[in-house]
Amino acid sequence: MTVTALATSATLPTEVAALRPIDSGLMERLRHEALTVPSDWVVEYGDYQNGGWHTLSLLNDTGDAQDVTIRDCPNPIATSLLTDMPGVRDLLAELGLRCMWARLARLGAGAFLWEHRDYGELADAERHRVHVPLVTNSSAYLILGGTKVHMSDGRVWRLTPTSPHGVCNRFGPDRIHLIIDCYADAAFDALNASVDTVADAVTMLPAPDVQELEEHVATATGLAELGYDGAAETTLLELFYRYALAEGQVYDLITAMYTALHRAEDAERWRVKKATMLGHS
Amino acid sequence: MSTLLDTVAAANLPRQFGLLEKSVEALSHSSAVQSLHVRGSLAAGTADRLSDLDFVVAVHDPSFASFVRVADALMTAELGAILPGWRDTIVARMGGLGYVYLVAYSGKLYQVDLYIVPVSRLETVLARTTAMPVYLAEGQASRPHSHVDWIINSTLERPYSPDELLVEILVLGHMIRKRITRGQRFIAYAEMFALHAAVKNMIKASLAPGSSFYGWYQLPEEIGTTPIGRQCLADLDRLLTGNAVPTGEDLTAALTTALTVAERAAPTVVQALRPAIDAYWHYLEYA
Repeated sequence: MTVTALATSATLPTEVAALRPIDSGLMERLRHEALTVPSDWVVEYGDYQNGGWHTLSLLNDTGDAQDVTIRDCPNPIATSLLTDMPGVRDLLAELGLRCMWARLARLGAGAFLWEHRDYGELADAERHRVHVPLVTNSSAYLILGGTKVHMSDGRVWRLTPTSPHGVCNRFGPDRIHLIIDCYADAAFDALNASVDTVADAVTMLPAPDVQELEEHVATATGLAELGYDGAAETTLLELFYRYALAEGQVYDLITAMYTALHRAEDAERWRVKKATMLGHS
Repeated sequence: MSTLLDTVAAANLPRQFGLLEKSVEALSHSSAVQSLHVRGSLAAGTADRLSDLDFVVAVHDPSFASFVRVADALMTAELGAILPGWRDTIVARMGGLGYVYLVAYSGKLYQVDLYIVPVSRLETVLARTTAMPVYLAEGQASRPHSHVDWIINSTLERPYSPDELLVEILVLGHMIRKRITRGQRFIAYAEMFALHAAVKNMIKASLAPGSSFYGWYQLPEEIGTTPIGRQCLADLDRLLTGNAVPTGEDLTAALTTALTVAERAAPTVVQALRPAIDAYWHYLEYA
């Protein structure tokens, strides 16, 4: 928790776009539904997160809300969860996208989705990701290309998740997004053309000072030496959210830490993990 | 029958029992930790849903300095502390170092106190407090290590920095909120006074870091010679003239004033902690 150099304002990277606003009345209904209807959230993609990212499906090919491992799904059906969320149903109908999958994602306080690429396991088709923030806070943000983006509520956002990115909710309360994965079509093109500007959504992260980086590595090494491997790894993985780092650099730092501690197996594990997370394997 | 009752009892356990379990799991993950005890209301059997988790963490002497050095990182990574630990000045000096963390858990903010003690002094600490063991490692205790005296004394003697004082203010605010909710008027009064002192200390640490004057002495002469100093002292004066025993509204007003002072006196410190402060307000509002 050292005080780091302050980030500076910037424009949105091309992989993220703020799109059309959502009617405030509908937004209130969506927020109410998100906070009151879902239960029995599912933790999936455990390797990609620190345990605080939970999802439930709204549209998939089984109709089971707890079936949350996304896959290509040209004709999704509504899950029972969507049946209980008429406001969300209305929004999906209004957007008119050719949905592959739709889900609610809850990121709890202190939760992180580590730097990764998506869609690597799916067939080669043009698809896009649309986010609708329903509940959020100022410590919840996306990192992409050394840029910090706070997806504010009240509008639709587009994210290209094939670039390395990560998401966090550092301090809470819970952040809940509606996430729609959809295939390219005219409705998506129209939505994607509704680009809007949002003040204070973006900040450039500072480049890491060598000394600061060494301090973080020393802290992580100290944790690992005491046997707190998980905390050591988290300490380094979190640097992705503080500094503008090269792709996969946090994974390299963990590998280097274990190498320095003469723990070859752990170093190799993180070398492999980097390839998996970033779609290099 | 007992199974059914157990289910009902489990469903009604205060939420911090889940955090207690998580904390024990996280802290005991190191062979450097010889034992964990809970003290305070949990050990006395008087805990309620607002009670803090109060741990005595016994660390083998040779690892004591390393543990203290990484405690903030550990609490952030494993338990979701929203702020660095506040070096506790309320806890009695029992032979170790006390830190207070505010941890977001299950939609609420909880206070987790760590009293980190070298194993060689554990018996002295346990003799001075009511404590119950929640984790005991197997194996022998390490030998006393003379270095721990230096670590503890130098840490206790080090003056607080502005960022530590801001954390102290926020921690005290959380404590006072609990006192108000419980109707503990006398403790609320004492902790409100501590909050006033922390705001004064923050002004001094930021605007007169080399001050040789004691406590509340010479503030106008030393701080009030510049416009920003006068504004800070005017805010401090406003803080002091509030109700001695605060209500919830008084506390909100006091914290708002304290943060105004912090923004004047140490703006970069506030900016660096801004997202954590936003979250803090949320939890305070929904406490």
